Amino acid sequence: MKRGFIGWDTQQLPRAALEARLEELQRNIAGLGVQVLVAFSDVWRSNDVRYLSNYMPYWNRALTVIPSGETPILLCALSPRVYPWIRSVTLHETILPSPQLIAQLVRLCAERGWTRVGVLDHEGLPYELYRQLAAEKLEIVDVPRHLVRPKATEAEVAMHRHAARLARGVLEREVTGEALGLTDHELTGRLERALRRAGAEDLFVLVSGGYTPPLPACGTVLGAHSSVTLALEYCGHWVKLSRNVAGMTSPLPPGRGATVHLETLSRASGWEGIAEDDHEAGAVISLQVEIPADGKRLYYGDTCVREGGGLGVL
Amino acid sequence: MLNPIRKQQYLQLMAERGWDLLLFYGDGWRKDLFRCLINVNFSGPQAVALLSRSGQIRALVTDPWDVEPVGAAIEDEPMLSLRLAEGLRAVLAAEARAIVAVNGLEQMEARFVRAVQEIAGAVPVSATADVEEIRRVKTAEEIEWIRRAAQLADRGYEHFVKVCEPGMTEFELVAEVESFVKAHGAEDNFMLVASGGTEVTGMKPPTARRFQPGDSVTTELTPQVNGYYAQICRTLVIGEPSAAQLQAYSIFAAAQQAAQTYLRPGVDISDVARVQNDVFRARGYGDYTGPQYTRVRGHNLGLYPDELPHVLENVHYICKQDMVLIAHPNTYLPLSGYMVFGDTLLVTAEGCVPLNDTPRKLFHS
Repeated sequence: MKRGFIGWDTQQLPRAALEARLEELQRNIAGLGVQVLVAFSDVWRSNDVRYLSNYMPYWNRALTVIPSGETPILLCALSPRVYPWIRSVTLHETILPSPQLIAQLVRLCAERGWTRVGVLDHEGLPYELYRQLAAEKLEIVDVPRHLVRPKATEAEVAMHRHAARLARGVLEREVTGEALGLTDHELTGRLERALRRAGAEDLFVLVSGGYTPPLPACGTVLGAHSSVTLALEYCGHWVKLSRNVAGMTSPLPPGRGATVHLETLSRASGWEGIAEDDHEAGAVISLQVEIPADGKRLYYGDTCVREGGGLGVL
Repeated sequence: MLNPIRKQQYLQLMAERGWDLLLFYGDGWRKDLFRCLINVNFSGPQAVALLSRSGQIRALVTDPWDVEPVGAAIEDEPMLSLRLAEGLRAVLAAEARAIVAVNGLEQMEARFVRAVQEIAGAVPVSATADVEEIRRVKTAEEIEWIRRAAQLADRGYEHFVKVCEPGMTEFELVAEVESFVKAHGAEDNFMLVASGGTEVTGMKPPTARRFQPGDSVTTELTPQVNGYYAQICRTLVIGEPSAAQLQAYSIFAAAQQAAQTYLRPGVDISDVARVQNDVFRARGYGDYTGPQYTRVRGHNLGLYPDELPHVLENVHYICKQDMVLIAHPNTYLPLSGYMVFGDTLLVTAEGCVPLNDTPRKLFHS
């Protein structure tokens, strides 16, 4: 679950910016002839809805219902006791208790006379919901994810940059020679403390001792060939960085023999995060490099933005 | 990392149901659906384990960094496919017309179900409820992991009490506790908090609210060790507790004790909820045991922190030895606002035993 600080800083993300995204969405789907758009989110697949309404499900599933020209409606399996908090961090004013998401959606469609419904990434729905929806008398139109988030905006890139700087700063302080001799659990604890106190929403720390790829901590003592990979979410924007504890790696680009692993962190790229074919300018890309050294493996990586013919570190 | 007892149970289930192939689908939210056969904390977006009737285990992973740990667990190279649908088609290529069941079918993206259907010729069957029933009774090794998680929950709560102070924000407190449990071996942690007085009706992720004297600070702290979660629920008052807070606490403590005294093999889980609610009813607070004020009176624990069945008066399930659950009568009361209290309980032959040993009291800073 998300247990970091989930807030809404309207200086960073003004209400008008969210409203502009909704207006752009309506323009993008106008040709589909749908009366309403429905977007699924859960604790793991949250970023499309976050982009539109700032709703971040810390737990459970939800459907965000977006009628044209109206504030999005949230169908939510969480208790009404948390609705005041949800309203404080999102655009949502109307939240409908929905232990059965599809049943509630069908009721709402009937009330509003909606019969042709756009579903964001229809085949990406959990099968349980997909099957329930298929049994209803609604005309479902698939809405590809790229129509919701066509490309990373400058504001989004700026948020990724902020997150990258935050992560880089903590890594520079904590992942140094002074960490040698700590266990990977202890270093993970230090990173958790520093980054969550700085406002991280979510955080994953992986550690390689030089003999394996980066993996969750297992109690190993850190040595010179140990590397740390950090995936950090800040206000819905992910970054990923890797550093060797002893500073044995060089900054990008990689040298010969290195293996490069790319992931797209911005916009709609499929949950797989595959980036090999993502050449669009402005795409935010995780670039992690495995570097062979002394029969072991070192890791270095950062979060980049695609610009012109290459990648620039954010 | 491979659970051999579960493997045999799943093979028996497959024989009973006539399934040729049982898939275990895990994703970023529900890794437990994969880990209940191959207990590897994978990093990629999805992972699938495939168990054949012959007992052969294969795996499909979607992140290059998962190949080695999953391969080590099954002693065979898993298939790597960055696109799961393509991977499913490839790994199932020789399974035409096989009867395929999926643990986690309900959570699986529809496109992945279609990929299985295209190869097998039929929509796969859901194995989720059957596998869940098998998982509900823990093995000796699983109980040992949950016991360690409970011990870590105790130490984590001790740290919570130590660092919580007026002026600190909720998210700073969570950062401190998260850091502590991770530094001491937790791989994950489910944690909700709330703070304040009678205006607080429930828990949520941490906010920037600063603790003030008189606040009740509530938490569900749920560290995960080697995949297995244990939970503790306690309430701490900033400063000296008021008479109303102490009165409220006495109700919660009596309700939890009622559940612990009642729980044993053969009892209906609805009655584990009822005996808790009866304590509130007897004190005139029965109105606060319903869904307007509370979610559940407890739940099972294991590879997922909120396993079924939930402890509710309208849920019927006969409890079994070696189930692990938490009884927590957490709810809102006008005396104190939202309050929590609960321990992880192991169902034994004669009754149940708590796995937490944190003092049972209303803490204060």
